Amino acid sequence: MGEIRAAFAIARKEIRGFSRYRIAVASTVFTPLYQFIIPAFLFGAAFAVNGRAVGLATTLGTDDLTGFIFFGGLIGGLIGMAFWGVAFSIRVEMDTGTLEPTWLTPTHHETLVIGRALGSLFWFAISQVALFAFGVWVLGLRLRLEMFLALPAVLCAILAMVGIAYLLAGIVLLIREANFFVDTANFLFGMLSGTAFPVTLLPGVLQPIAFALPTTYAIDILRVQALGSRPLFDPALEYLVLIGLTLVSYPLGRWVFARAEQAMRRRGMLAQY
Amino acid sequence: MSLLAADLRAFFAAALKELRQQRRYPTLFLGQLFWPAILPASWVLMGRAYSGDDPQALVAFAERAGSSNVAVFVFVGYAMYNWLSALLWGAGTALRQEQLRGTLEAVFVTPASRLVPLFGPGVGTLLPMALTFASNLLALRIFFGIFPPVAAVIQAAVIVVLGIPALYAIGALFAASVLRFGEVAPVVQLIRGMFVLACGITFPVAMLPLWAQISAKLMAPTYIVDDLRGVLLRGETVADVAGDIAIVLSLAAVTAILAVAVFGYLERSARRTGMVGRF
Repeated sequence: MGEIRAAFAIARKEIRGFSRYRIAVASTVFTPLYQFIIPAFLFGAAFAVNGRAVGLATTLGTDDLTGFIFFGGLIGGLIGMAFWGVAFSIRVEMDTGTLEPTWLTPTHHETLVIGRALGSLFWFAISQVALFAFGVWVLGLRLRLEMFLALPAVLCAILAMVGIAYLLAGIVLLIREANFFVDTANFLFGMLSGTAFPVTLLPGVLQPIAFALPTTYAIDILRVQALGSRPLFDPALEYLVLIGLTLVSYPLGRWVFARAEQAMRRRGMLAQY
Repeated sequence: MSLLAADLRAFFAAALKELRQQRRYPTLFLGQLFWPAILPASWVLMGRAYSGDDPQALVAFAERAGSSNVAVFVFVGYAMYNWLSALLWGAGTALRQEQLRGTLEAVFVTPASRLVPLFGPGVGTLLPMALTFASNLLALRIFFGIFPPVAAVIQAAVIVVLGIPALYAIGALFAASVLRFGEVAPVVQLIRGMFVLACGITFPVAMLPLWAQISAKLMAPTYIVDDLRGVLLRGETVADVAGDIAIVLSLAAVTAILAVAVFGYLERSARRTGMVGRF
């Protein structure tokens, strides 16, 4: 019970701290808009024939360009939450010199990650609501009720990303150049999951990596339910693999985090970066 | 030593300082190898998803973009994007960095012209810029097996060199303007985002509404990107785009004058309010 209270207290602290930076809060909505959503929409629309995305229909079995971009972006946001909201926030605590006092509290160190994940989920939900509202009003995004059938897949992806956040937090604790690592790894993870294009377009050597990521299946199931796109595999099989990968990624992440913490204690490098 | 010669010496010293600082942080160059290769490559794959190799879709794209070669179209756009990134994060934030380190006041009390701290750091952008273009070309060759004709690459290089003053001036204007802001990173993102949306970096300018297309004509990067695509994709020559180059050079002069005026205004204001050390 005490750990749950601590997790929510950490989440509250994260939400409060971030809300003090108004421009940063606004940029959680504006940055994806002008860096990805609007350019991707206009780029995709440049291939349209008589207002219809015939090329996308050939590739994916749906001509819903806006939906393709937004539902990919939804899981992309979730991936960003694990990389920046959880793993990199540990680095920020290191920079501000507050990681050592936090580490000395009686709270389990695993709870620190869970608390951050809860705080990041809050901002993730707010930004996605704002982005989807923009999509509906400005870009003509059509939402179908069937998209809610993909909710279990999204929940699985959230759990899997918490596991991956543990793994990343462990790496961030050990390396010195965390910014470049988080930035590039976040981008590659998103691209390999198919946030911007179907993974079948990746070079053959990268496809096995893509199929080992839980988010690949979550995006595919979401697009199948919400857009009626052609699935990569049988959706039942995709669910099975997604659940399996979630069950693996969570303990794997916890194990890596525990090992990183052990190494850090042994080398006395909590304050070094 | 004449005043001009002394200022020139100070200018080269300021440039050398920037290059030395870059050398001290070699990991920063990793990003200049990674992003120019991977970012455009991912957009080319997006282009493949959107086109589906459907001839009709590719014809529609060619009508709007002037070519159906999506890979070169995207890589040229991203060369400009990376150039703008290096410029805004480097020269564009140079004065702000001096302010953060507490050295801007010391720079201001030297007898060197104010144009030295304003324009000197821009030289530091040239090295990352060259590295970015090289990574771009290499990635285009390795990932997609495309290498434009050598004659076209040489003409593209001429256009880039002639575009340097305009981009340099944008960096100086940005550097002077952001001295007023407390937090500079979101401003960099915003301005870079504006260029991405307005200058046809990832999509053809023809996709924008008319008012945005007219605004795009007031920005030098729009002309530079279009001219580069002209020589690399449409077989145009430097002579064919001479009119655009004249506009780019004129915009460079106007932007540089504006940068000097903004910097002068802020300096006068700083003398009155003592805000140089405050941020």
